[in-house]
Amino acid sequence: MTMRQSQTAVLEKNTTLHGTFATEPFEVAWAREARWFLQIVDADGDATITLSTQVSPDGLNWVDLPGGERTIEGAALTSWAVADFGHWLRVQGRVADGGAVKVRIYLALKS
Amino acid sequence: MSSPEVSSLAESFREALRASDVRLSKFRPLPRLLAHDDFNSGTHGWTELLGNYDGQGDLDTVDAHMRDFRPPQLSNCTFFDTGTHGALTGTYALKLATRPYPGHTATAIRRLTMSGRGLLQIEAYFTYKTEANLGGGSAADSFGVVTWDGNLHPSEAQFGAFTVATDLCSDGGLRYHTVVRYQNADAEGNLLRQLMYPVVPEPTPREHQEGKIKLEYAADFTAPNPEDWHALDEPLELCFNEVPTKVNWHYLRWVIDTAARRNVEFQLNDRVTDMRDVPVPPYAERYDSLENLLNFYFSVRTLSGARNFLYLDSVLISVDW
Repeated sequence: MTMRQSQTAVLEKNTTLHGTFATEPFEVAWAREARWFLQIVDADGDATITLSTQVSPDGLNWVDLPGGERTIEGAALTSWAVADFGHWLRVQGRVADGGAVKVRIYLALKS
Repeated sequence: MSSPEVSSLAESFREALRASDVRLSKFRPLPRLLAHDDFNSGTHGWTELLGNYDGQGDLDTVDAHMRDFRPPQLSNCTFFDTGTHGALTGTYALKLATRPYPGHTATAIRRLTMSGRGLLQIEAYFTYKTEANLGGGSAADSFGVVTWDGNLHPSEAQFGAFTVATDLCSDGGLRYHTVVRYQNADAEGNLLRQLMYPVVPEPTPREHQEGKIKLEYAADFTAPNPEDWHALDEPLELCFNEVPTKVNWHYLRWVIDTAARRNVEFQLNDRVTDMRDVPVPPYAERYDSLENLLNFYFSVRTLSGARNFLYLDSVLISVDW
């Protein structure tokens, strides 16, 4: 068996999220597997984050990937896998009620 | 057989072997190949550059202008209009992508060390594009000096610059950079199409720690003061190819002499520029922990605020030692 290709991209590093946000477009055409990790570095009170995984045909137009939604309250590290995602991935989300959350966001990919 | 004849024969063998290898025949390497990066088989050690951080792993301590150079992507060069373009060699290229923020730079670095001194060469097949735009009304038909006329497209004036550079350190912590930049356009969208080099070394995290310099997010990390960038040779037009979704691969070759700590020459397509008189200013103070450092980086910088992309099809690093 040929050794599989892999890449971890750190899409946000100590980024403070407010309101709605989206990660930068990331190309994943070569990957069969993808897993998100969201590491909370610092949270302002009990901030709740709602997340959806989005896919795109061109890196310009985006649509939710069914089954890619998550709501996070207070967990230090959250992870979820996505499948059948085509050639682009990003996470779109919202921090509720004027809260602020400092995060690192990882995308772990494997061929 | 005399020694010069043996040397000539060996070179002829190398040429013949290279010519028969479709992956290598498009390059003109020095005798010893250190790295051949074809991005159909992964990222080959080209990784995101990040500034230094404290002993607690607190990334808030990274200099603001060095904390967001973006992870490189393995791209099949897919566009909204024609789908997958593909690379020069196979399907995939390494893509550096800026954020849509004026001044933002994406940077990928490759880290080696030197096992000798002498000539060092990097070759690459690359292309540079601005992200395609959809919508925006007739205002989107112009940027800077370019108005869409069926040939020139405003996205060309929205591409700022790409840079190839080294970070080298030897002989007891003597650290220096060699740098070449292609400045395609300025922030106002004037087409400059000018090779440039800086006359100062890059600001470092230690200089920030020592209170000597503090730069803001999206500052030009290679040399922040525009006056420190000098023109190299005459302006040079490349093949952006009209719209943001057509990809033409360009050839780049750059020779450095690490024994003399000097540039030698830079080739971009059919333009070969003698760089032996281009200054290579070392840092005034010595650096620890970097002996024999041999790093190359490519970067791409947007000035317009549109996402700018640099795609690398393949890279070859070779030496004569």
